[in-house]
Amino acid sequence: MAQAADTVETRPMGAAADFDRPLLLTPREDLAGYVGSHVGRAALFLVTATSIVAVLLIFVFIIREAVAFFVNPAALPPLDWTSTGSALAWTQAVLSSIGARLAELLGGTQWYPEAASPEFGALSILVGSLYVTGGALLIAVPVGLLAAVCLSDILPFGARQAVKPVVEILAAIPSVAYGFFAVLVLAPWMQEHLHISTGTNALNAAVILAVMAIPTIVSVSEDSLTAVGRELREASYACGATRAETMVKVIIPAAHSGIIAAVILGMMRAIGETMVVWMASGNAAQIPSPWWDLTQSVRTMTATIAGEMGETPQGSDHYRALFAIGLLLLMFTFALNLVTEHFLHRVRRAGGTSP
Amino acid sequence: MTRRPPSLDPRHPGRLLRLRGAMDRTFTGLASGSILLIALALLVVLAPMLWRGATAVVFKGTVEFRRMQLEQFHRGDLKDLDAEMAEVTRARQPVYDMLDRFSRGIATDDLEEEGRRLYREFGKQLDRRDTPPGERIELRSLAKQLRDDFTEAVESTDKAAALGALGRVLKHADDPRLTGTVAEGFFRMARNYGHIVETVDLGRRAEYAKALGEVRDAIQVLFGPRPGEPRPPLVMDQYGATRWDMAEKQLARLLTAETWVEVQPGQPLQRAQVPREREFAGTNLAPLFPLMREHAADMLRPQTTLYWQYFLDDSLSGHYFGGVGPEILGTLLVTVLAIALALPLGVISAAYLVECAGDGRAVRLIRTCINTLAGVPSIVFGLFGLAFFVIYLLPKFGLPQGSSVLAGGLALGLLVLPIIIRASEEAIRSVPLTYKEAALALGVSRLRCFVTVTLPAALPGILTGVILSVSRAAGETAPILFTAAVVTGATSWPLWEAVAKPAKTLAYGSYHLAVGDRLAALVPHNQYGMVMTLILLVLILNIAAILVRSRMAKRLRGQ
Repeated sequence: MAQAADTVETRPMGAAADFDRPLLLTPREDLAGYVGSHVGRAALFLVTATSIVAVLLIFVFIIREAVAFFVNPAALPPLDWTSTGSALAWTQAVLSSIGARLAELLGGTQWYPEAASPEFGALSILVGSLYVTGGALLIAVPVGLLAAVCLSDILPFGARQAVKPVVEILAAIPSVAYGFFAVLVLAPWMQEHLHISTGTNALNAAVILAVMAIPTIVSVSEDSLTAVGRELREASYACGATRAETMVKVIIPAAHSGIIAAVILGMMRAIGETMVVWMASGNAAQIPSPWWDLTQSVRTMTATIAGEMGETPQGSDHYRALFAIGLLLLMFTFALNLVTEHFLHRVRRAGGTSP
Repeated sequence: MTRRPPSLDPRHPGRLLRLRGAMDRTFTGLASGSILLIALALLVVLAPMLWRGATAVVFKGTVEFRRMQLEQFHRGDLKDLDAEMAEVTRARQPVYDMLDRFSRGIATDDLEEEGRRLYREFGKQLDRRDTPPGERIELRSLAKQLRDDFTEAVESTDKAAALGALGRVLKHADDPRLTGTVAEGFFRMARNYGHIVETVDLGRRAEYAKALGEVRDAIQVLFGPRPGEPRPPLVMDQYGATRWDMAEKQLARLLTAETWVEVQPGQPLQRAQVPREREFAGTNLAPLFPLMREHAADMLRPQTTLYWQYFLDDSLSGHYFGGVGPEILGTLLVTVLAIALALPLGVISAAYLVECAGDGRAVRLIRTCINTLAGVPSIVFGLFGLAFFVIYLLPKFGLPQGSSVLAGGLALGLLVLPIIIRASEEAIRSVPLTYKEAALALGVSRLRCFVTVTLPAALPGILTGVILSVSRAAGETAPILFTAAVVTGATSWPLWEAVAKPAKTLAYGSYHLAVGDRLAALVPHNQYGMVMTLILLVLILNIAAILVRSRMAKRLRGQ
């Protein structure tokens, strides 16, 4: 009983202590200690559960606003649970409404939310997110992985201590500052030197997002590379493998869980990023054609929300559609998060070290 | 057939070994190269923003800047400025004189109007002087003749015709009946105009008028409104070039004209620079340009200025003048609120996770939720802040529905909560077990042990987390887009009233100046100054965090 220690006399010798007090706890003190410890624990748990409450609230409130986009309560038949026919009709109406809206959102390429007959085809927006995220990963994964290898195995200790703050500061620069750089420095430079019509395009956003995703990829994969341990490295060197062979054939495969987690975390950083893509991607809701042309403007989910939420009245269809896109984004990152957690859990179990 | 084994002698490596060695070196090179690339990226991103942003604080301020500071921010000495202004006005006077002289020859409408006015005045004068009716009619028709001839001379674009018409006017200059009357004005004007006709190419008068307009505009931007003219309503128009770099830009606009020239037929027009001196060659405006080129510094008196009040001042006329004071204050408000929410929650959660929790299902759920919270895109925090705090929760407490610092601070608080939890958890975990065991062995309760032993030992780590959270919260824009940020409006005092209102912040201000504000492109130093302030804030916080952490690492190692 941990609380028992509480009441044991602890004053130093010589101090005016009440020596008449018994060393053993009375039943009352014992009970009070027991209750107090558990009440304290419960209170701490309640505070800690704020995270759960916060996540729940986020889901509830995003879904609450998004649901009205998928199902319009005014258009539903009256619901009467006592009659099976009515309930069936209601359910059918709800499902067909959700299906139609989902098909429109995910299948249409026309995004005209403020038109007289509004269209909410977000496919080109989803594709835009995919473009900038994919482009960013194309740059960030090789560079980040190589840098992680360099940090964990190539650089001497002193140099490592100097490089780590660089990576940290790269991660700390606010996204709006990156966006500022993208739109006022990089975009004019691109326009002048690459001879393209606009400097704010998918390539610009992808390059900047890559710079932003690199720190995440570097630090998480470096952790997992370090977690592999000396034994495997030394065994490989003892077999006569060069450093490159050791890294590529032994260490990276051994650390693959953490590296996958790193890539996913980098991807989450890129896909959830708002300011950079809003400022740098050009915000044209179109699918580039030809498909490989990254120098065309695109628009992403986050930029759509950021750009249009301020101008739409609360409760309008447009407002709800933006929440629906937010919900898509939330569910997507949530799923990615669970996958990451799975991989990181494997690293922790295999490495035996704390992350 | 036997295969020769690869040579193991390092002095005579076999081909395979050489290849493997080369590949190894390539790999090392690539890896080191990517580190260099990352460092380079940091430099390329930071350098232009910090460098150009610094020009908002350190620059060469002209006398106009000092005038603006005195009038708008009540900073500086009135007597010194008056003395300086007097000198500057003296230096500028020749410029204005030259402009006036030249524009008299260009602005034909004014001359014609003046002729008509003279004719009317002359008629009135005749009426007053009660001239005999016969002579009055004669003189009147003579004046009419003078007016028409003068108008013809002014309107003509042919030099000979104009001079002929002027000659017809001046023929009557000696007419005794006109001496001492208003009509003498005709002869003065005719002589003046005669000089102009001699020097100015009349056919190019329209061109001159346009170029003169540009020159006048440039001078207005350089020197501000002319002394004696009414004060423009906008603050940005009330002063000339306040900074020497902007003055130089205007000076270039003044000294060279930009025109579009067709180099090859059918090809797009190309930009060409023509010196104004050549444009106005032969006219009496030509000396203006060498004068401006050589004495611009006398007319503006640039001095190296350290404008540290940039970080305190409010901005004027959009962001044309002034600083980022309200933005810094707004950022601090939002951030302090966010930390005030997240710090207690975060430290208590971390304490629970380390000290009390095992590996039960509830704890795993909590950890998953913390990770989820850390992974939620920042724009979703913005949506949530809008739907929950702005629309649902805060109106229940009597706040008006609309964005407020409180809503933004709460949204940001949830955003940084996982950062604080993780940092605190790691800090508490890294406190040596011996500390705790020693305390518990002395018979202290667990709560007291945590508060008096573990927490102080973990404080540097928690502090690192807090510093990083502050830097994150200060830099995030997306969560406050719909919850707290505005472009205009003053921060109201006292502060508790400001909390219920939206605020300007550095992050949103940077966004707004980069893309949302057309005027901002005119003042790149203020544009970059805003983002420089934000980056500086974040950099200082992060460097502080790195220092705290390294000291903590030393202490834990027992040094």
